[in-house]
Amino acid sequence: MSEHSTMLTEVAAGLMRDLCTPEDVVAAEATGWSDRLWSALAEAGFPYVSVPEEVGGSGGDVADACALLAVAGRFAAPVPLAESGLLAGWALAAAGLELPEGPVSVAAGRPGDVVELSGGPGRWRLTARVQRVPWGARSTRVVLLASVGGERHVVSAPTAVAQVEPGRNLAAEPRDTLAWDDVPLADEAVAAAPAGVDPDALRLRGALGRAALISGALQRVAELTVRYTGERQQFGRPVARFQAVQAHLVTIAEEAELARLAVEVAARNARPDPGFFDVAAAASVTGEAATVAARAAHQAHGAIGMTKEYELGQLSRRLWSWRDEFGSERAWGRELGRRLAGAGADELWPRISTGLVSA
Amino acid sequence: MQFGATTLTPAEESLRAEVRDFLAAELPADHRPALGFAGRYDPDFSRKLAARGWVGMAIPPEYGGHGRSAVERFVVAEELLAAGAPIGAHFVADRQTGPTLLHFGTEEQRRRFLPGIAAGEIYFSLGMSEPDSGSDLASVRTRATRVDGGWTVTGTKVWTSEAHRNHFFAVLCRTSPMEEGRKHAGLSQLIVDLHADGVTISPIPYLDGSHHFNEVALEDVFVPDDMVLGEIGSGWQQVTSELAYERSGPDRWLSTFPVLREFVREGAGKAVADDEATVIGRLAARAWAIRALSLSVARALDAGEVPAIEAALVKEVGTRFEQDLVEALRGAAETEVDQGTGTLFQQLLAEAVLTSPSYTLRGGTTEILRSVAAKGLA
Ligand SMILES: Cc1cc2nc3c(=O)[nH]c(=O)nc-3n(C[C@H](O)[C@H](O)[C@H](O)COP(=O)(O)OP(=O)(O)OC[C@H]3O[C@@H](n4cnc5c(N)ncnc54)[C@H](O)[C@@H]3O)c2cc1C
Repeated sequence: MSEHSTMLTEVAAGLMRDLCTPEDVVAAEATGWSDRLWSALAEAGFPYVSVPEEVGGSGGDVADACALLAVAGRFAAPVPLAESGLLAGWALAAAGLELPEGPVSVAAGRPGDVVELSGGPGRWRLTARVQRVPWGARSTRVVLLASVGGERHVVSAPTAVAQVEPGRNLAAEPRDTLAWDDVPLADEAVAAAPAGVDPDALRLRGALGRAALISGALQRVAELTVRYTGERQQFGRPVARFQAVQAHLVTIAEEAELARLAVEVAARNARPDPGFFDVAAAASVTGEAATVAARAAHQAHGAIGMTKEYELGQLSRRLWSWRDEFGSERAWGRELGRRLAGAGADELWPRISTGLVSA
Repeated sequence: MQFGATTLTPAEESLRAEVRDFLAAELPADHRPALGFAGRYDPDFSRKLAARGWVGMAIPPEYGGHGRSAVERFVVAEELLAAGAPIGAHFVADRQTGPTLLHFGTEEQRRRFLPGIAAGEIYFSLGMSEPDSGSDLASVRTRATRVDGGWTVTGTKVWTSEAHRNHFFAVLCRTSPMEEGRKHAGLSQLIVDLHADGVTISPIPYLDGSHHFNEVALEDVFVPDDMVLGEIGSGWQQVTSELAYERSGPDRWLSTFPVLREFVREGAGKAVADDEATVIGRLAARAWAIRALSLSVARALDAGEVPAIEAALVKEVGTRFEQDLVEALRGAAETEVDQGTGTLFQQLLAEAVLTSPSYTLRGGTTEILRSVAAKGLA
């Protein structure tokens, strides 16, 4: 990690240690949101890490943003950090649109979503219905991609004029459906999308963000499980002394480290944008790691892990949702496999043996 | 190993048909299936089921029951669980407390409780686990002290499923101090009225947000002598007795079956992709084979055998299957699931993702079962 990255994550971790305790996360579940945490993060410029300073962002690169998201994942932070910089902020900045005040989210394009933009400068209109938008109703703006006359546009859609059907994922994080019914848009809310700003790129960034959140959460799951099984006594000794429990601890540690390094390599190879192989591989690895490690951690914890308020449950419920958002490990594995098969046998090993590429 | 393939007799098949007809009539076509025996709590359903003679089947007629075989109980249980019937109110009393009372209870206790259990009207919880005693059950600290006419009990039980709705629970406690090297001695089971003075029941929110678990604090709760279950000092033998072998029934492998059925229903009429078909096929095959093992244990019980290892193996493989099914279907469906929204399949999948870690914990963890089973294999 660069020095800048390390400083960033230390400041963020300090802030979250104070403002995002397990008790704060429990309290935030009622609304799916922590105002205090968001304000503090926004004050420090964290939401727009990886968005260039010239356009009002906080600077830094994709690796910095991912390092920050790993911290957010570790603390189960109930705020749309992954959506603001890596996704919405990136698209807005690339298209020359303003970065709004307050949280901003994105609709990356899901089956069944409808986005119709019509008109032109001075008379833009939007009709859209997009599902499972993270913190959709909380956000001031939601970024959409839309085509008009064959040309792709970035839209910064104001949520104040949207109809909202609230939804929640398994961790009670907001995943709202938003609809705009023939709403006029200001010229400042629409711009042509430059090359590279497209649904595939959004999906890659979305998946990388989820992978980073997962990797951070898994580090915490590993720590919690080691701590708990070291303290929990049964049959006169800590349960961590039983081989069967040790097997779980080792599994969790392995998966957490696989996830952490996969994300680090994928993020650091993003110069400036994340690449398909890196993201597909990282998403596949982290999705599997989330599944395997959550199962082992619950098994090692016993009944205490099944309580809603214990920290493990806060993390595992997020892992179970995040692993499926922006594509499950199976979906990414399949896409990756198709491309690898297409490239042929002799390309396979060179591809696998290309890890972190030097800058 | 005494697993052997067995068929259902014509009488058992016709019992199955009766249960299916009953379920078709009782469960609305759009009912939301329960996942497993603890999935839904519905006293009305329990009473209706009892009216058909399908609760208290292990209890002899003189105590209001039906004196049916283990296989007959198996047949009824598997139909109920496969359909996702709401059996949470009576199931524990029926599976666990009834047989325990029958074996170890006094004549007076049998007359007092068994008819109500068989009628689907008296519901029991299990008072075993404590904050510091889970797998190591013999370390329980809840203690009963001798007083005039009975005992006073003080201690804290946790994870007590449905204590907030049930009537009684069987409390494992110390009736004499632990002696070095003899930790299984001095334990007893007492039947405690969950509404008695000194009993405080507090909810512990479950992972999916529901109220399932409780902490039950007992503070000088008076338990009269006639509520001592079995012998004073025999609590350990009673909770680990051969009755435990009867606890490897369909409730240990069918908890998530309704998720599979709804997945298939959702795909009905559409072309099934190759890999989805593979998942459905493999899960069905596995369920079919596990059922054969589980049924063979029931048949062995009816033959008077004590298939202890077989039962432990069925529970171990069965509860793992219940979890694997959830993951396999999540993979196949490639859908994001949220609680309470989406199709019935998606809603059940969300519930299963949140609750499935418990299958390999409740009633003895996989790790403990393995050590029991491995000792028997040696
Ligand atoms: C849904 C649900 C409902 C429940 N309902 C009830 C109820 O109604 N009444 C009741 O009394 N209890 C109930 N329980 C509690 C259940 O019986 C316990 O969870 C179980 O006995 C395990 O105890 P524990 O959770 O304290 O885990 P621990 O015993 O603390 O185990 C932690 C980990 O250590 C492992 N471990 C412990 N000892 C050993 C060993 N010797 N060798 C290898 N590994 C070991 C375990 O397998 C586990 O992985 C319920 C539990 C669940 C999940």
